[in-house]
Amino acid sequence: MLGPRDRVIGQIYIEGDLRVGGVVEGEVEVTGDVEIDDMAKVKASLAGRDVTIRGHVNGAVVARKRLVVAKSGSLFGDVRVARLAIQDGATFSGKVSMGAGAATAPLVKAVEAPTPVPEPEPKAATEVEKPAAPIVAVPLVAAPKITPPAIIKTAAPAPVAELRVAGKDGKGKPVAAPIKGKPNKKKRR
Amino acid sequence: METQEAIAESTPMETDGQSDSKRGGQNRLVLGPNDSLEGKLTYGGSMTVDGGHAEGEFRVGGNIEIGNGTVVKALLEASNVTIKGEVEGKLTARDKLTLGKQAKLNGDVQVRRLQIEDGASLNGYVRMGEFEQQAPGS
Repeated sequence: MLGPRDRVIGQIYIEGDLRVGGVVEGEVEVTGDVEIDDMAKVKASLAGRDVTIRGHVNGAVVARKRLVVAKSGSLFGDVRVARLAIQDGATFSGKVSMGAGAATAPLVKAVEAPTPVPEPEPKAATEVEKPAAPIVAVPLVAAPKITPPAIIKTAAPAPVAELRVAGKDGKGKPVAAPIKGKPNKKKRR
Repeated sequence: METQEAIAESTPMETDGQSDSKRGGQNRLVLGPNDSLEGKLTYGGSMTVDGGHAEGEFRVGGNIEIGNGTVVKALLEASNVTIKGEVEGKLTARDKLTLGKQAKLNGDVQVRRLQIEDGASLNGYVRMGEFEQQAPGS
């Protein structure tokens, strides 16, 4: 519950219900119901199960179940809802997308999004790091012929990683040298 | 005496107080279940489609009412529009648009006032506010 003198600017995520009486700016996501009271001024995207608007709202609204814009309410923004009720006297402008699928889609995506992201990241990081290590070592040791072959074997099943290394670093030649030893030497001469 | 009272009581019950505007608008076009209208219509009175077939472009000085279970594919323009059936097309209500419980509306909407009852379905852009008088050709 945010009273008439309360103000929030930023991102709110609430497990449960939210009632706004004051000023909210930003992004609001609520697992339960959202109520915007008469005197409230909201400049934010709202997402909730049941959304009831009696005050001023400027922003997109997603209601998984139902959106109600009451007599005193005004809403400017696009709306994705399962059910919609607008009472006579309410003000509303925006695009309406209706149907069970339209309302649930964005919320599900938001929840799932964080989980798949970490998975591919570590893989890519390790692939890049392995070949990257010898490159750093190359100029220091100045005789990379002994160490690179072993590392290249590990990197071999992932040709993408090899390409990245070559493209990333101009000094990618030493890594490739053991494989195509002759052409490299020719270039150097 | 008794019968007169009964009639007086029953009429406002059925029409929900809208009878005044309908009869005040003099002319009223009603499309029943066996009627069909296709094309462009410009009409000074009001129009009711209840079970009939209607397709095209209807610009009406009075009100438009689309009855329960009626499917209309048309551009609609009227003072008050009441939809209880299904409408596909652009819609302009110079005063008020009412979507009943079982109404389905697919199309962009320009209205001065809007009432949507719970259960109605709407897909499209809604523009609301003071109405600019548009020429019928636009």
